[in-house]
Amino acid sequence: MSENIDFKELWNRGKASAPDVSEIFAKANRLTRKTRCKIWWSNIILSITILLMIFIWWYYQPQLLTTKIGLILILIAIVIFLVTTNQLSPLLAKADEETDSRHFLEQVIRIKHKQEFLNKTMLTVYFILLSIGITLYFIEYASRGSLLFQVLAYGITFAWIIFNWIYIKTRTIKKQQKAINDIIARLEEVNGQFGDSPLN
Amino acid sequence: MVFEDIYRDYWNKVFRICMGYVNDKDLAKDMAQETFILIWRKLPQFRNESAVGTWIYRIASNNCLRQIERSNRMPKTELPEQIEDTLEPDMEWQSRLLYKCIAELPETDRIIISLELEDVKQAEIAKITGLSESNVRVKIFRIKEKLTQKFKQYEREY
Repeated sequence: MSENIDFKELWNRGKASAPDVSEIFAKANRLTRKTRCKIWWSNIILSITILLMIFIWWYYQPQLLTTKIGLILILIAIVIFLVTTNQLSPLLAKADEETDSRHFLEQVIRIKHKQEFLNKTMLTVYFILLSIGITLYFIEYASRGSLLFQVLAYGITFAWIIFNWIYIKTRTIKKQQKAINDIIARLEEVNGQFGDSPLN
Repeated sequence: MVFEDIYRDYWNKVFRICMGYVNDKDLAKDMAQETFILIWRKLPQFRNESAVGTWIYRIASNNCLRQIERSNRMPKTELPEQIEDTLEPDMEWQSRLLYKCIAELPETDRIIISLELEDVKQAEIAKITGLSESNVRVKIFRIKEKLTQKFKQYEREY
């Protein structure tokens, strides 16, 4: 240990002019507004989707049950997707900042694990529902056309679904997982620094 | 407890803790502001179960740790600077060096040493970090040693 370095004195020289307190209030309000705005947007998109589905139902008057089930499945898929991405994740992200750092980190790690699970599961559910929904929806309209039309319509639809499933879904999940896993790894590393033994 | 008083008394303390964590003045100011936004929001629920200082430092430390999940996605510019900082005399190089050395330590060590330099009692540091008191004592001793070594090494290089 050195006797001639006064760390406390050097430390206390670190100062920054405090912004006016009204600035803190304004910023807090801005943040609240931003969050509220985001929730509003997701609700608007959700409502438009539902209205669109009702419109299709009403305007095209589907005859077969499969078409109706298809429409409902597509709707559920979109609702699940929007709710998960917009509302559930931020809800989960609320960690208690008033607890001690060790518990805080454990909490954040738990939340991130949940988020990881949610993203993966919900995205899979979304793709399954959407694929089945589109397939069912098409049955009625495809059956009205010639055989060639039917083969083409189903061929293209299935090719599209398979492409989504193999390429887009896998890629999206992988990307999300990587981002979350990197954070989890970092958090665990930092939490490990606390260690039980002072020798750590 | 009036927010304005807390703000006045703790601004520089919270700023220094953030500064020790990131060694970037603008970012540290943003983080200090975020901390005070949290404090402002949570103050009505604060029930004096712990000393107000401990409570504030807990929020400040945890907000620093939040940087871990944000560093890859939150650009610094998201919280813009409002007040010009031109009147502020620049910290002297030794002081700057100290902050640089602290910011190079492992994350939890940064917080522990920052609290120690802020004259927070070791029992309080234990409450803030969730470590045992004896653990805090040993850790502080080791961190100081490491810090001194680092500081002297840099000093020689400059």
